[in-house]
Amino acid sequence: MLWYKSLREIRTVTLVGMAAMAIMCALVVLNQQTMRAHADAPMTYTAYIWKSVYNSFGRDMFCILAVILGSGGLLQEGTHGTVGFTLALPVSRSRIVYTRALIGYLGVLAIAAVPIAVVPAVSRYVGEQYPIMQNMGFFLLWAACGVVFYGLTFLLAHRVEGDAIPVLLAIPSLMLYGVLFDLPWFSHLRMLNIFQVINGEDMPFFNESRHLLVTPLPWLPLAAIVCVGATLIVLAARRIQPLDL
Amino acid sequence: MIPERIIQTSDLTKKYGDFCAVDRLNLSVRSGRITGFLGRNGAGKSSTIKMLLGMIHPTSGAGTVLGYRIDDPRQSIEIRRRIAYVGEDKGLYGYMTVAELIRFTRSFYRDWQPEMERRLLAEYRLPPRMKVKALSKGMRTKLALLLALSRRPALLILDEPTEGLDPVSIEELLQTLVGAPVNGTTVFFSSHQLSEVERIADDILMIDRGSAVLDMPLEQIRENYRRICLGFSTAPPHLESILGIEKMRCEGRQIVILASSNADAIAQVGRERGAVDIQVAPLSLREIFLETVQERNQQDQRRHLEHENALV
Repeated sequence: MLWYKSLREIRTVTLVGMAAMAIMCALVVLNQQTMRAHADAPMTYTAYIWKSVYNSFGRDMFCILAVILGSGGLLQEGTHGTVGFTLALPVSRSRIVYTRALIGYLGVLAIAAVPIAVVPAVSRYVGEQYPIMQNMGFFLLWAACGVVFYGLTFLLAHRVEGDAIPVLLAIPSLMLYGVLFDLPWFSHLRMLNIFQVINGEDMPFFNESRHLLVTPLPWLPLAAIVCVGATLIVLAARRIQPLDL
Repeated sequence: MIPERIIQTSDLTKKYGDFCAVDRLNLSVRSGRITGFLGRNGAGKSSTIKMLLGMIHPTSGAGTVLGYRIDDPRQSIEIRRRIAYVGEDKGLYGYMTVAELIRFTRSFYRDWQPEMERRLLAEYRLPPRMKVKALSKGMRTKLALLLALSRRPALLILDEPTEGLDPVSIEELLQTLVGAPVNGTTVFFSSHQLSEVERIADDILMIDRGSAVLDMPLEQIRENYRRICLGFSTAPPHLESILGIEKMRCEGRQIVILASSNADAIAQVGRERGAVDIQVAPLSLREIFLETVQERNQQDQRRHLEHENALV
């Protein structure tokens, strides 16, 4: 039942995040005519969805929500005074940490999956079409890159106390990371720039003129990104093991 | 099979930087008894309890609970499976309802007793659908007790269990604790309420500055501890420390002795040294506690003041 506790901890953020993502996606689609009419240059519906959902509002919202979902765990429980009860349960600390990590990540996946349902459904309502396979592709990119956003905050949340501090540390750290990989020195390492991988910009698996993902997705770099995120979570679990709580 | 000594520690030490919270503590708690764990604030009670539960790691020394080593993570899980703990802050998950928290906790224990759960739920008048965060402190304590007692654990550890409870609830709790050994549960509880401890405890363990200063059955304390006042007609003579004298101080023409045993022999020595008035009186637990820790408390206050002055 540890999963149940973790689920209850993330439930509100996940549901609010999913609702916010759904509203954002719906508003983007419903306002497509106005927005496209006021664009600097003519834009296809596919390009509009990519720019609005997968390259700006949606992606940014997803990153922030993944970061917020990562901020939890035993150290934060210490702030709320419940750590004694949790640690008195007959389970190992590792199991507590990994269960929280897994359930939190499922929350990240749930938020990433919202556009799969909302964008095609509302597109049909306004008489447009957006390929569901594109949504699926971006879901996979968000799911993979989300592990890093989530994992970094999760690690920070197991190093520093306070509810908001891990989030406040993770956001500038990720921004700094994005800025660094935008520098010309790192141009040959663009596959390591998760902010570009997540939306496909300048990536060989993305067609810039049609604004569509072209198969196959870069499975190896994506696996490497997931490994980095997983390593951050393992480090969090190791960090908590010897702590006096 | 529950060992005769349900908790045992040997030179158990916990340091936080330079501060030694628990200092080579040797304690031994007998099974089937109620042991009151006493000490001033900061004496090391909570640190000791947390080490027994594996929440904090000993700096040195060793300890066992139910025969399992407290410093081994796997054995520590086994300890927590067999014991129940009610913490000082009664920090329960506020976002769950009473029923959800009971269901959650039940899932970790195979020996959960649903009929006991139902009985305590009714007895404590806990509303199952109410969120834990909406409960009063007293109700939260009762819920924590329900979660602990619904399993008939081999050992029940409570840290300040009566804190925040009204007198009626305190009475109910004390009755519950008194009945626990009959069901095979050993009780180990810390408290500042000495009158409560005196009412229900079989054994007393008092610690100060992280070390045990008193470890004795309450009955033995009542039988043996005495305050002996020796009155002299002139300035009191120097009395050498003999067996049983714990503390001795001069107050004008009087020598006041705290004796843990041998009261008759001490009185006799006083008589031989010219005491004209000898009074031997039994001591309450409160008086013993104050006699034991008051001087140290004053020393600590003086040291703290000197430290503050040095900083200024």
